[in-house]
Amino acid sequence: MSDVIIRADKLGKVYDNGYRTAALEDIDLSVERRSFSCIMGPSGHGKSTLLHLLGGLDRPSSGDVFVNGASLAGMTPSLLAEFRNRTIGFVFQFFNLIPVLTVLENVQLASMLAGAPDREQKERAVGLLESVGLTDKMEARPNQLSGGQRQRVAVARALANDPSILMMDEPTGNLDSKSEADLLDLIGALHGSGKTILVVTHSDTVSARAERIIRIQDGRIVPMAGYGAHEHPEQEQVQ
Amino acid sequence: MKPATLVLRNITRRRSRFAFTLLGITVGIASLVTLLSLGTGLEKEVRKQADVLGAHLVVTPKGWCAYEQISVLTGETLPEAIPDSDVKKISAIKGIQVIPYLTQRTALMNQPVPVVGIPPDKMKAFKKWEIGKGEYRLDGQGIVVGHGIAKQFKLYVDQAVPIRGKDFRIRGILAEVGNRDDLAIYLDLPVAQELYGTGDKVSFLSVKVDDISQIDKYILEIQNTANVAVVSDKQLLKSVLGIVGAVGNALQLIAAVAILASCFGIINTMMTAIYERKREIGILQAIGAKRRTIFSLFLAESGFYGLAGGFLGVVAGFLFSYAAAPYISQNEFTAFLGSEQTVRLFDPLITVEALAFSVTVSVLSGIYPAWKASRLSPVEAISYE
Repeated sequence: MSDVIIRADKLGKVYDNGYRTAALEDIDLSVERRSFSCIMGPSGHGKSTLLHLLGGLDRPSSGDVFVNGASLAGMTPSLLAEFRNRTIGFVFQFFNLIPVLTVLENVQLASMLAGAPDREQKERAVGLLESVGLTDKMEARPNQLSGGQRQRVAVARALANDPSILMMDEPTGNLDSKSEADLLDLIGALHGSGKTILVVTHSDTVSARAERIIRIQDGRIVPMAGYGAHEHPEQEQVQ
Repeated sequence: MKPATLVLRNITRRRSRFAFTLLGITVGIASLVTLLSLGTGLEKEVRKQADVLGAHLVVTPKGWCAYEQISVLTGETLPEAIPDSDVKKISAIKGIQVIPYLTQRTALMNQPVPVVGIPPDKMKAFKKWEIGKGEYRLDGQGIVVGHGIAKQFKLYVDQAVPIRGKDFRIRGILAEVGNRDDLAIYLDLPVAQELYGTGDKVSFLSVKVDDISQIDKYILEIQNTANVAVVSDKQLLKSVLGIVGAVGNALQLIAAVAILASCFGIINTMMTAIYERKREIGILQAIGAKRRTIFSLFLAESGFYGLAGGFLGVVAGFLFSYAAAPYISQNEFTAFLGSEQTVRLFDPLITVEALAFSVTVSVLSGIYPAWKASRLSPVEAISYE
């Protein structure tokens, strides 16, 4: 029996800013623990929205998301923040580091929010920066780093509280091919260490590394021809 | 890392904006501290001068207003209004000692100086003055000067001093008494009356009663004896303090408006900071910052403006009031501040009050921006460009 870590149940998201736009409709999805999945599809078709809903960054208009069996819809904003802090690590396309903090402090930030003592925060952050190869940049400010280095800092920060799931939104979108390859190696290693990886991407290089591809079009998961017979007919298994 | 690190780094990331916002609250608090400090000094000095007067009752012409009552304490020029006949009648009442005063002014080295006509022997006994230099002799040629005036104008015994075109000789310099008595020139009363052409009239009388429990009886008796007004030292003090307090309150209200304006500066700075850091707020939310954490971080920033601005304002306010006090002693309300020890360089009560006020208003100013920041949707914040 498969070990599902994330399950979306009839998930829908409608934006209503005077004009109703259905960004996602009736999404049923399961993500297995320790899997490496990519969400792909054309721009504006709901990939990032799905990632935000699965990660508890946004609330669905209908349906629910279950992570480790817990319903996100039933969580208060405070519980949801705690859930994001401890269970999920986010990495975004534009690195999104805090410019006034050093590299080390940026990585410490998530542990600080979790209430970890100073010493513990620092030890953990130093270890993570070592693992992403940025020991010599700990006191640098984000604007002193290359794009690839910044993204590795973002990954280190995402891992600060040892989350079981890593969600990335176009993590290689702003990187050159060398930095992209380095980051993919890092992601691969994390996957190998037991993390569940979920990546939104347009990049075939990224998707080539994934075990599974979820295709989104017009806010719906697209059934893949030739893959309809197995457990998740709407998804493509990459083996 | 502690949240304070993030707060301090954020607050100083735009240095000029930080400096101007801080300056706003600093100026507001400095003006408040200056006025509180001067006001407190003024009140203390009024109380001290009332004690120095040494009288239980002050007899004034009927119809004097509070302005003239203040002048009794400050030694400002007063109209001569009580004739000698009334002085004699009042002095004849048993159980009281009466000292008549004629308060005028003269120019000494182009600066106004109080000239007080007094009955020399009665006054010396009444005030328990001691002579510092020379002798205590007031007559047609001789005068006595207060310690402060002598020091200020470098006067010495036997020096000739012109008053209204007539040369007088300084016979003695009083020992320092630490109040307004140090800041006047004393003439024999009949000499002063002749010099200023006031006839036999005096400005007011100060009265000491033998039995304080009978003070109401003496008030009635004095009023029945002559056509004058009688005010007790407590009433006089209350009346003067009432005016000082009202003026102080009005000035403090102006300072409060300055602080209110600086609060809008803080709100504006914080709102701008939120728009600039919208994406960072989203990141904090994504990595697990709760709404109350975001709220606290922004509230701490505005509170910091209050703490730092309050501290700088307190220092600037005390320095300014200390430096300014000697230069604003040219009217009845502020005349008291001329004496050296009135305004203190540091007052713990004013410091605590001003700092508490500064932090409170700054934190209150930060509530709305902090609330706005905490209510941002993470997705909206992250997607902000």
